[in-house]
Amino acid sequence: MGGNQSVPKVTKQDRAILDLKLQRDKVKQYQKKIQAVLEREHEIAKQQLAAGNKGRALTTLRQRKYQESLLAKTDGQLENLEKLVSTIEFSMIEVSVLHGLQQGNEVLKQIHKEMNIESVEKLLEETQEAREYQREIDEMLANNLTSEDEEAVQLELQALQTEAVRFVLSLDSHL
Amino acid sequence: MSLSPHTTPSGFLLPSIHAAPPFFTLQPKAETQALVTEQWTRLILSYARHRRLFYLRVEDAEPPGSDWDEVLRNDRINRRLPPSHLSYILDDMVSKNKAMYEPVKQTRSVLLFWRLPEEWAEVLHDWASSTAQLNTILTFFEIVEPPVPSQLSGIPDTLLRRAISILTKTNRAQVIAVSDGEGVRFLAGNVSK
Repeated sequence: MGGNQSVPKVTKQDRAILDLKLQRDKVKQYQKKIQAVLEREHEIAKQQLAAGNKGRALTTLRQRKYQESLLAKTDGQLENLEKLVSTIEFSMIEVSVLHGLQQGNEVLKQIHKEMNIESVEKLLEETQEAREYQREIDEMLANNLTSEDEEAVQLELQALQTEAVRFVLSLDSHL
Repeated sequence: MSLSPHTTPSGFLLPSIHAAPPFFTLQPKAETQALVTEQWTRLILSYARHRRLFYLRVEDAEPPGSDWDEVLRNDRINRRLPPSHLSYILDDMVSKNKAMYEPVKQTRSVLLFWRLPEEWAEVLHDWASSTAQLNTILTFFEIVEPPVPSQLSGIPDTLLRRAISILTKTNRAQVIAVSDGEGVRFLAGNVSK
């Protein structure tokens, strides 16, 4: 989409659908015509009867009956045509759905290609290595402290602890 | 005599000028006539839109009983638009692209442009896209007599064809012809042009 899209090609299917729809329109127009004739004949029969021409009225009514049967027949044809048109249109939608599924599948495949098990394992391995490396660094840093430093650290810890205890006691005495 | 607007049985509001007797006669002075013609043009087009009338014929001004009686006659002041005056107005409307002679090569009947073919083209395309019928092949009959009535119901073939040909120029429609007739496919097209 977008850009300067050109007009799509007219395929054989397109022509077939158009043909079908034109046929359908013709049937519809034919029905309209018969409907008009039916109404007119009804009128004529009435007039003939009023004028006392019973025979004529009867003939007209027979004609009318015949036209009615034609109308019923065209109804059936129309239904068939309509069904065919909608079946084709629905199939076209199905085709486009299939196309969509195919494309989605293609994308999924590509993503999977980039994310195969080997590379995941490799990645996990690398993470593991990195973690070990980090631990080594930690150890090395810890080992680097001299015993005096270590002692000072311990003393500081003790001081903090006693201070904390004193603080708690002072709170108690206030209560 | 009072000059006042009047509502017709079909619910159309006639302007007060419609109750002025001189309005119905061709004016000798060109400037006056130009004003009168302009008023008539506006009146004719808005009435046509109101009643969805597409054609106006000179003969509509003759015996009563046409679709145009409410506008072309005013029995309250006993006036009617003479055919010669109507013919003059139609000629002016055609020259100003407010109507076209239909069929061509005669001057007794016009197709009214209460929407210009360009505007009809937009209405047509909007209809196709709002009813999800883009990229679908449609017959002309299906557009003019859709199962669900639309703004396009009953639009004359000439107008429809003009509208479609405007859309084809911008790749927003494609006409498909088969041995039995024609169809059209509307396309989304690009909005910018």
